[in-house]
Amino acid sequence: MKIAVCVKHAVDESELRADPSGKPILQGAASKVSTFDKNAAEEALRMKAKSGGEVVIVCVGPAEAKKTIREALAMGADKAVHVVSDASGRDSLATSYLLWKALAKSGPFDAVLCAEGSSDTYEGQVPPMLAEWMALPYAGYASKIELSGSVAKVEQSLEDSSQTLELTVPFVASVVSEINEPRYPTLIQIMQASKKPMEELTPQQLSGPDAPTSLSRVLDTRVQSMNRKKVVFEGAPEETATKLLDALKAEGVIGA
Amino acid sequence: MESLYPDRAAEYGEVLSALGRYMQEKILPLSASYDAHSNSIAKARSELLKNGILQISHPKEYGGLGLPFSIYNLAIQMLGAADASIALSVAIGNTVAEGIQMFGTEEQKRGYLPRLVSGDALGSFSLTEPASGSDARGSKTRARREGGNYVLNGSKMFITNAGEADLYFVFAIAEKGPSCFLVEKGASGLSTGEDLPKMGMRGSRTAEVRFVDCRVPAENLVGEEGRGFDYIKAMLNGSRIVMGSICVGVAQIAFEKALEYSKQRTAFGKPISEFQLIREKIADMKTNVNAGRMMCLYASMLKDAGAEFSSEASQAKVFATEMSVGVCDSAIQIFGGYGYTTDDIHRHWRDARLLTIGEGTSEILRMLIASRELAHSI
Repeated sequence: MKIAVCVKHAVDESELRADPSGKPILQGAASKVSTFDKNAAEEALRMKAKSGGEVVIVCVGPAEAKKTIREALAMGADKAVHVVSDASGRDSLATSYLLWKALAKSGPFDAVLCAEGSSDTYEGQVPPMLAEWMALPYAGYASKIELSGSVAKVEQSLEDSSQTLELTVPFVASVVSEINEPRYPTLIQIMQASKKPMEELTPQQLSGPDAPTSLSRVLDTRVQSMNRKKVVFEGAPEETATKLLDALKAEGVIGA
Repeated sequence: MESLYPDRAAEYGEVLSALGRYMQEKILPLSASYDAHSNSIAKARSELLKNGILQISHPKEYGGLGLPFSIYNLAIQMLGAADASIALSVAIGNTVAEGIQMFGTEEQKRGYLPRLVSGDALGSFSLTEPASGSDARGSKTRARREGGNYVLNGSKMFITNAGEADLYFVFAIAEKGPSCFLVEKGASGLSTGEDLPKMGMRGSRTAEVRFVDCRVPAENLVGEEGRGFDYIKAMLNGSRIVMGSICVGVAQIAFEKALEYSKQRTAFGKPISEFQLIREKIADMKTNVNAGRMMCLYASMLKDAGAEFSSEASQAKVFATEMSVGVCDSAIQIFGGYGYTTDDIHRHWRDARLLTIGEGTSEILRMLIASRELAHSI
């Protein structure tokens, strides 16, 4: 079983600051492996533990993304392919195309796992686009993947329902964070990760006449701010409880 | 990191940032529950040790990573911020591992070091006694040679990890003078007392360790008989930097909490962070935390370089521990009534307060620093 895991070198949203106009300050912002990609890596490693084979990390990202790739390698993946490109991050079509080409070069794979979306922009576009490029069956939002021979049973966690699909390998799936709890690499694994093979590719090496032109352009990005009402009720407990109840009803938080 | 370790900055940075994330996610959220005695540190400590924190500064041939002691210190600074009790317990385990690494026989190193640094075994350092702390030469614990064994009798007090440890590094007086012994858990005649109630560091276990005709094989003598005092002095030099580093972490977390609160708490219609006297506190707290950080780092880099560092280690401990008590006190002051009444704020002061006493009181360390300075002056 050869499994590819697509990872993104994402902006660390927990450290992100915005300027007074609400524009995120991306210059010098901390970065990390996109949170849910660790779930995809974990799932691939569990599949490998059961069926044997190899786990390959594939990343389209800038030179600094090596840090992210090494983090995924430290979890236990065998090797990595790094498409060094500064253009990635917000152009899902271009990213998915480069991932496809990189996978074609280092494949074939029995399964390609991605996260449901990245932890910085959470657009969730790359996995289905990638499946489309690869012309492979796709299951999004997987909360369980069971492999038996060449058939994968995938439970999808959808908005207010769940659905189980049966796919034949090879396939592409995106996983939700509930699918597993990613392991923490040990310090020895972190140090050994830098010795694992990492192939470097450039977009020029991969792009062909079928390379897509971008269909979208990011015009502006703003941090969403939540204005809290900070209402304080004063008085005796019975009185304030009633006032709180009325206020919650008036806001439609609880039924009237 | 780049300026300190130009060749290996990326590697050290990755180790430290992975550890930092681990502590942030797995240890910090439970820290208040350890102080409240509603949870035991055992599971989190064991998982952290298995992750490899004690492997950092030990040689590869004994299961370590072979990285500088200063990197271990930076890890301990982060751990002190995540949970001081776990930091203390783990650090004492490392002191024992360091002692074996520096003075143990090859057999002792092969037998114990891989287990201690991988977290398969926990160490405890048994030096202080009910009637002698700083005055280690006044130790009353005796070790009598009987054939192929030593027979230990006496009692050790305020011992971290007592009752939980798998291996006790014990200081006792033998025929040729002060000596050190490795006593394994379960040795006949070894027992530990009740967990002593403490004002801080409540997650770590502190108790008496007793030896009543406790027999240990002669090969468990560390180094040579009669040289134990030199061994513990060397172990304490390293350990003192680490205790300072724990306090840097404690001060850092108290500072971060106070800083955040100062931006939220309003008085006279504006956040208290707008007032000059609070700003002065914020500036002093941050400056002091960084000064402590640098002193601990400097002393550990001297140790890495193989230079003499005992005075710098003492200076780092005196400064960082007293600084931490001061910074945690300022944090309580900024929180006002909430600081005095909220465990999650005043616990940092209570934690830091131990370390101007343990592993060498501030008074003894000042004596050492002054003696050294006077010996060097003309």
